[in-house]
Amino acid sequence: MASSDSRPAGTRAAASRPRGPGLEFAVGAFLLLSLASLLVLAVASTNGKFGFSRDSYDLKARFTNLGQLRPMAPVKIGGVTIGQVSGITLDPVKFDSIVTLAIDNRYREIPIDTSAGILTGGLLGESYVGLQPGGDVEVLKPGEELVYTQPAVDLIQMVGKYMFGGGAGGDAAAGGGAADSGSAPPAGDAPAAGDEAATATVPSASPAAADAPASATPDSPSPTEPTP
Amino acid sequence: MEAIRSLGRAGLFSLSVLRASTPTADFFTELLREIYKIGARSLPIIAVGGAFVGLSLTLLGFRALETYGASNQVSVLIGLGLYRELAPVLTALLFVGRAGSSIAAELGLMRATDQITALGLMGIDPVAKAVAPRFWAAVLTVPLLTAIFVSFALTASWFEGVQVLGIENGTFWQVLRDSVDFRDDFLPAFLKSAVFGGTAALVASYVGYHAEPTIEGTSIATTRAVVNASLLVLMFNFILSAMLFR
Repeated sequence: MASSDSRPAGTRAAASRPRGPGLEFAVGAFLLLSLASLLVLAVASTNGKFGFSRDSYDLKARFTNLGQLRPMAPVKIGGVTIGQVSGITLDPVKFDSIVTLAIDNRYREIPIDTSAGILTGGLLGESYVGLQPGGDVEVLKPGEELVYTQPAVDLIQMVGKYMFGGGAGGDAAAGGGAADSGSAPPAGDAPAAGDEAATATVPSASPAAADAPASATPDSPSPTEPTP
Repeated sequence: MEAIRSLGRAGLFSLSVLRASTPTADFFTELLREIYKIGARSLPIIAVGGAFVGLSLTLLGFRALETYGASNQVSVLIGLGLYRELAPVLTALLFVGRAGSSIAAELGLMRATDQITALGLMGIDPVAKAVAPRFWAAVLTVPLLTAIFVSFALTASWFEGVQVLGIENGTFWQVLRDSVDFRDDFLPAFLKSAVFGGTAALVASYVGYHAEPTIEGTSIATTRAVVNASLLVLMFNFILSAMLFR
């Protein structure tokens, strides 16, 4: 915004008081620095819900299938976020993934028989690591590995399995489909729906699932029938 | 560097505008006049702009959500996208184009016709008389213009969604109500609009006030005001969104 200073001579107005070039430079530099720091703050604050400055310790967990898990996904116990995924690597020897969990320092009493699973928040939601605390007296120390893990559930594979599986699998799918048809729109965070997905439920959004029980169970009457 | 010095001058000018804002009766007369000139007379462009933004947003959202079978949830897009981002930014940009350029042109013309010098010679602070009312008028009117933008956009969106595209009327309004919260969406939007209005007015006033006292100087000032104010509005939009919406 470099324009010539047309300061009319002889005015006593406060705004046109001539100022030293040093002061102008100082104010300009200060404004530039504060703007730059605001931009950095804005970028940094959108970068992860947990924040870099919180003290945390690391735990490891091995999974055979990660699904859609990515770094900075939340780690939750019973729906409460206690940390985030800080790193994902592949073990070149055993070919399963090693996920590093950064847990908040407030939660240092996680039993060593805690199990970790990769759950989804809602049908289309993001993946997160859900911990199910065990009952052991001993607690995990920083850097230790969780022994019990469950891989992510691949919904498409399950649909395929039930479409061509038939029998009791088809009935369970029909019951689950009827229960799911009244669920909330996928925009909401629903860990309950995510848990159900892990225990054999076919998503109601796919019309193929409605056809699956019909083709899989031709004449056996199912105890929970879908809407006639 | 010359650019940093100009930034410093602009900062010092902004400080003097704030210092010169004293609530005298004369100030309120000028304020009222400026509110009419830059607020009320911006209504047509804001209203029409809002209507068309609502129409296109609904159409786009409907088509995009069809793949997920969620096309009657279009109001979520309208509610969140409009209230949080589109309304403050677009209103501010339209305001910069219409009112910002007029502020810069008026002040540049006052400089070119020596009115500012005359005010100074009479012992009246030209910043208090000419610039401060415009600044405060902008800060007050841009949030109100944003609200009008939103209401026209919502009406147009309702028309497009319910009458043309066939979304159910009750669903439209219910989903909109569920997706928008007063404290989390309205208030930050108004805060953003106030900041944008103040920024636009300060930039336009600075460039107009310090324009070269020639015809060419006035037109250069007008152009520069619109460009710089638009860029600053977009930059502050990012910063404020990051800080307000977590």
